Amino acid sequence: MSTQAAESTPEKTPGTPKRPAKTTQPAKPGGMSARFFGASAMSFPTWAYALFFFIIPVALVIFYSFGYKPDEFTAVATDQLSFDRYPEAMSASFVSTFFATLRISVVGTILCLIIALPFAYWLAIKVSPARRSLALALVMVPFWTNFLVRTLGWQIMLSPDGFLSDWMQGLGLLDGPLDILYTRSAVQIGVVYNYLPLMILPLFVAIDSSGQKLREASYDLGAGKITTFLRVTLPMAMPGVVSGCLLVFIPLNGDYVTATVLGGASGSMVGQLIANQFNTAQNWAVGAAMAVILILATLAVVGVGFSLLKLGQMIAARLNSVPLKDGRA
Amino acid sequence: MSKKNTFARRTPTDIGLHVWGILVFAYLFLPIAVIIAYSFNTGKVLANFRGFGLDAYISGINNDIIISSVVTSLQAAVGAALVSTVFGTLGGVALARAPKGAWWALGLTAILGLTLVTPEIVDGISFLPWFVTVGVDWGITPLNNGLVRLIISHAMFSMAIVTFIVRARLAGIDSQLEDAAADLGATPWNRFKDITLPIAAPGILAGALMSFTVSLDNTILSSFVQQPGYTPWPVYIFSAVRVALRPEVAAISTLMFLLTLLALAFVGFVLRKAGGSSTEIIKTMAG
Repeated sequence: MSTQAAESTPEKTPGTPKRPAKTTQPAKPGGMSARFFGASAMSFPTWAYALFFFIIPVALVIFYSFGYKPDEFTAVATDQLSFDRYPEAMSASFVSTFFATLRISVVGTILCLIIALPFAYWLAIKVSPARRSLALALVMVPFWTNFLVRTLGWQIMLSPDGFLSDWMQGLGLLDGPLDILYTRSAVQIGVVYNYLPLMILPLFVAIDSSGQKLREASYDLGAGKITTFLRVTLPMAMPGVVSGCLLVFIPLNGDYVTATVLGGASGSMVGQLIANQFNTAQNWAVGAAMAVILILATLAVVGVGFSLLKLGQMIAARLNSVPLKDGRA
Repeated sequence: MSKKNTFARRTPTDIGLHVWGILVFAYLFLPIAVIIAYSFNTGKVLANFRGFGLDAYISGINNDIIISSVVTSLQAAVGAALVSTVFGTLGGVALARAPKGAWWALGLTAILGLTLVTPEIVDGISFLPWFVTVGVDWGITPLNNGLVRLIISHAMFSMAIVTFIVRARLAGIDSQLEDAAADLGATPWNRFKDITLPIAAPGILAGALMSFTVSLDNTILSSFVQQPGYTPWPVYIFSAVRVALRPEVAAISTLMFLLTLLALAFVGFVLRKAGGSSTEIIKTMAG
């Protein structure tokens, strides 16, 4: 697609009516460096925006985490700096909520992967190209529907006097009303649902780009379906797995909307505790310290995930390597 | 050809995959269907279905608070889409055309990557004191306006998405086109306007749509930066969750859902006209 465009446009360009008027202007000397300067200057507004509305505010919050709450009416003071807010932030209730959040995020990411991998494979390979665009558009629809509203749909479904509860009781699947709303299981169902499209799309893109030709080559060389999947499709889908897991895990770890709607009081997540420190308790120093802990933990889990992936790839490479006659792997 | 394959050998695996695919679709659409169905609830409480009627639509449209929050949301989404598209396009073009290893390009990529991996709650709590510092303490009064705050914070959130989509779009295209234009004497502005922009256009459009919906969807960040009188729609719903949800919420949400579908269909149509295959369109739209 894109290369075609690149090839076809130059033939048209010289004929553009605007061109002759400009050709009288001589090309600038040292055109190359001037052009590169152009690119760096062009990046300036984006830089400035990111600096002014992201780097500085976030740095400020990190700075606040070393401050303290001087009195009831002041949110934060930074005339004395210390690490004291960190132990204070790590109260027993925070730590237990923190690990519960981490568990929901990790389990949620894994469940999303388990649900999405066969689905993306099906979408990219088994659905006929004619229907694929429709199927893809359908996957996109929930992705573009309001997050909170989708969660409300689950709240209605899971409620003890909702239709699902009635049906299940009618079918004899349940003895009493459905007792799942406002529990951690409800939160788990909700987050898997809410972040599933973020897992499906990168997986689909990766499997789709792995290409029918490579798989056919694999079949032609005598590999079976399972071998082809394990040694061609799956390795090529790995970038999609990685970006899908990141796309799901990171926002999920800071999310508390799903937890508030489906978990009620028993489903509180770290994000909620941080928000409470800023909105209700008005203790920005402790809230900031909690936020820093959340960021560090998110980075740590992502780091561990990447290391595990690298390790897995190394083991897979070792297992899959076919020794050649001259002894090279 | 792969159509033949699908129907020629229907192994148990294939059947299993088809069933799985249909189940996942059902799962994806179930809550949306429930919301649409319950928007016709004539009862007082959303979750208790009493009867079928359009009452919720009528009272929702006549509810000033609901309408003003929807209008705020739409204004913020359009504003955020414009701001993030302008900044993101500049950033994306700059990154795509950066010489290898330029510090400013690596730095910008890193910072924008950071904005993507920062939990939304952190963005929320950092914007709150910052807007007070800049708007109140430094006296830059436009930043005290609720709508401006929403637009700035939402645009920050989606600027990285636009930048990366535009960069990806331009990465596949040889910069020789622009060099040729420069050698033929095109001014930098003409080069940008006549060559770079048309090539990047599908990416820019996809990025704009993406930031529009991301902004429309945003709850956590908005609840931190919102000002009285500028409560966006998701924040309105979120506060209603804690009190009592009425069917009006479902009715207005259904209307918003239809609006989003129209916007999606429009962009899909434009991208298809620009000559992309459906798979590529989705890839562009999904970043």
